[in-house]
Amino acid sequence: MASAVHLDGITKRFPGVVANDDVDLTVERGTVHALLGENGAGKTTLMNVLYGLYEPTSGTVRLDGEPHAFDSPRDAIDAGIGMIHQHFMLVDPMTVTENITLGSEPRKWGGLAVDRAGAREAVVELADRYGFDVDPDARIEDVSVGEQQRVEILKALYRGADTLILDEPTAVLTPQEVDELFEVLDELTAQGKTIIFITHKLGEAMRAADEISVLRDGRKVGTVEAATTTQEELAELMVGREVLLDIDHGTAETGEVVASASEVVVEDDRGVRAVDGVSFDVRGGEVFGIAGVDGNGQSELVEAVTGLRTPDAGEIRFRGEDVTTASRRDRIEAGMAYVPEDRQERGLVMEFDLVENGLLGSQHGRELAANGRIDWAKTRGHAEAIIDEYDVRPPDADAGAESLSGGNQQKFIVGREFERDPELVVASHPTRGVDVGSIEFIHERLLELREQGVAVLLVSSKLEEVRGLSDRLAVAYEGEFVDVVDPDETTEEELGLLMAGERPGGDDGGDEGGGPATTGDGDADEAERNAAADLADAADGERA
Amino acid sequence: MSAADRARDALSRLVDASATERVLISTAALVLSVLIGAVLVLVAGRMTTCTAGEAVYYFGTGFCYDPVVVFDRLFLGALGDPLSGSWSPNGQFAVTLRETTLLIFTGLSVALAFRAGIFNIGTQGQMVVGALATALGVLWASSLVSGAVGTVVLIPFGLLVGAVFGGLYGAVPGLLKAYADANEVITTIMLNFIATGVALYLVSGAFKDPNSAANQTVPLPEFAQFPALLFGARQDFSIVALGFGLLAVAALYYVLEHTAFGYDVRTSGVQPEAAEYGGVDAKRTVVASLSLSGALGGIAGAMYVMMVLGTFQTGIPAYGFDGITVSILAGNNPLGVGVAALLFGVLKSGTTVVQFATDVPPQLVGVLRGLIILFVAMPEFFRLLARGLPGTGSKPEAVATDGGTAGDRGGETDE
Repeated sequence: MASAVHLDGITKRFPGVVANDDVDLTVERGTVHALLGENGAGKTTLMNVLYGLYEPTSGTVRLDGEPHAFDSPRDAIDAGIGMIHQHFMLVDPMTVTENITLGSEPRKWGGLAVDRAGAREAVVELADRYGFDVDPDARIEDVSVGEQQRVEILKALYRGADTLILDEPTAVLTPQEVDELFEVLDELTAQGKTIIFITHKLGEAMRAADEISVLRDGRKVGTVEAATTTQEELAELMVGREVLLDIDHGTAETGEVVASASEVVVEDDRGVRAVDGVSFDVRGGEVFGIAGVDGNGQSELVEAVTGLRTPDAGEIRFRGEDVTTASRRDRIEAGMAYVPEDRQERGLVMEFDLVENGLLGSQHGRELAANGRIDWAKTRGHAEAIIDEYDVRPPDADAGAESLSGGNQQKFIVGREFERDPELVVASHPTRGVDVGSIEFIHERLLELREQGVAVLLVSSKLEEVRGLSDRLAVAYEGEFVDVVDPDETTEEELGLLMAGERPGGDDGGDEGGGPATTGDGDADEAERNAAADLADAADGERA
Repeated sequence: MSAADRARDALSRLVDASATERVLISTAALVLSVLIGAVLVLVAGRMTTCTAGEAVYYFGTGFCYDPVVVFDRLFLGALGDPLSGSWSPNGQFAVTLRETTLLIFTGLSVALAFRAGIFNIGTQGQMVVGALATALGVLWASSLVSGAVGTVVLIPFGLLVGAVFGGLYGAVPGLLKAYADANEVITTIMLNFIATGVALYLVSGAFKDPNSAANQTVPLPEFAQFPALLFGARQDFSIVALGFGLLAVAALYYVLEHTAFGYDVRTSGVQPEAAEYGGVDAKRTVVASLSLSGALGGIAGAMYVMMVLGTFQTGIPAYGFDGITVSILAGNNPLGVGVAALLFGVLKSGTTVVQFATDVPPQLVGVLRGLIILFVAMPEFFRLLARGLPGTGSKPEAVATDGGTAGDRGGETDE
């Protein structure tokens, strides 16, 4: 019998990027197939090809052995493909039944009216058949995220899907809901449906899938049986052998404490304690790194230090002054440079050109805008100097920020902030999305600043980066610092354990009562898995 | 490529259009709207009856209304017939410039707020408050000085009073937005009603002119009004006021493009998160830009009192709402506001000329005017809409409804 889905040599090119490069994928009927890979590995693109959203540059899509060419998702749906996107496509004020049948409602009176009773009946029947727990009359806005996801699945089944694609289905779910989802997937495959689910979490792929295909940089690097593989094997496939950047870190004279935080508590936008009593200090001439899996409070802590978020408790000092509630502008003027995590939302004004963007943060400074009047000639020179020194391409100060690639945007921001003549540089993922050569350059500049006695607070999820650059390294886990270590004295293995919440001295920080409210086993699991991935990666690197 | 893709493509090309392209687009839109208007005039002319002598003949068919005459009156008439040799500064051109002057200030008021990302529908109310404050302030002060000295002192004083009170009235929604998170569209609309109501109450009671049947203050002394230089006094226009208007255009342009405050305003307007990152105090910028916006509206009110009416009277025409259209027409660019205000001024004053010169019903002239504004403003409107799409889509939608009524209301006040 032919496979339910067979992708044969799929290549998808976008201008300047090869998102998928000659990918073969075979999924057998009645199985769960996980598509594993890092962000940007090409997983979603591949599935969008299967779902008819993109036309492949070359290659064929076969369903049950038959070649298909989809012009639109409409064609894919007709061929029995259903896709559940990461962000649900549901109409909030409408009921579960209305959402499921939307656009394909049963009709009555010769097609003039919607057969509401019939629709409800069809939905109830469908839910019963697969053992789904949904209330057909509830409004979408009133039901849990897990139930919304089940509605999405039912929506696809209602349209006759045989093969379901789930894009990062667990990203929005609580651990209990994840368990429920996996039960649903079992039930679906038991009844002959085929599931492909996209994920970057090793543990979930191993738990839920029968087979796992790993994508890296748009290529498929392997397909393994979930039952026989190990996390280490998957991590190695996923990350591959990264070039180990040789960071000559040296030692520098450390000076006075430039910035410090004591017992800082920060709530995130949802009112959850993201930072839970963190204390540290950063001295001039040192790089203080914060390692950790993303989402353990690093972003909120950085925002509290830089003045974008007011801490709910604790104190932040900068150059001897209490700046806990000081404005962002005061902090900039006092010499705090900040490379933000989100360059397109915060770091650059996308509609402005680079001349105008070079002024961002300095518009009240004496240098470029004395007495409140902007010296545009000087500002232009300033932007051109950044472009020149940091190799921003295209080298055109009049180019709009939005016309630059992500890496070049990042270089411009890094340049602007480093050239501020700062006392403290807060760098949040300074090399994210930047090419290898520029990464090296940014690292060098960062260490140069350190030589000059500048204090550096570095946050990065790249273990190599924080480990290589930092003089002291804190490991964040669930809003707390698990430990502060000397990175040269600590093995990657030990760091990995810390990142997973393992406290030094055997005290497991994972399930403490004082932890943030949203944390649960899911987060802890994820952290451990990511740590494991880092471990595998590191071990790999050392072998190389 | 599907129709939706093509539409999106066209929209993004519109957003990316350069300044030259935008001028070309606007000119083409103007020509197109005149052509469509001409067809409408012809069709309407077929549907009425008139004597054979009155009719004009095109393509062998008789029409009661002549589109050439209509548009000739609408544009050339508004300019006081510069080609006929009988041009006089006392003529219709002065009316056009009067309207232009007032629209410059209300247009700038809306444009400034818009650049800060704030939709100020309250320019009308700010204008009313500024007008009333100016009338009362100048009346009080006119007992202290008189003569030529009085003119020199009282006009700046009146403008200042208008600006201060308009500004304070603009600060109210600013404070409400900054510190109580109140939507400025709602609050400014409400404050318009409050301004009109309170003004009516005061002018029909405590400050009413006992010698007049109308709800108005005692007339300002002649020396406290804008002097009629070059242009005759008959049309209530003073070139001095227009000078102030052009000065305001240049000043606002300078503030937005060359000062740190302007940079803060523009950054907040296009990307509030980046502004916050760049050290812009969002709350202060909101209050400051709405206050300044209100001050410009207040100056429009002061001009209306000291140049046009010579007193404060209830029922101030809807210059504030027309300002919204002017601002959108200008792409919220201060320099563009000058041009858009002139176009709008021509249309407003030309409407009356058409009504004198032809039998075309005023409603049809209103339609022609609406067509021109619709066509010229539509590309800018789509630009706003397309930019607003990823973020909050509600603001540009408000433009559609309110901008529409603004044009209509402007038409009614004329007639």
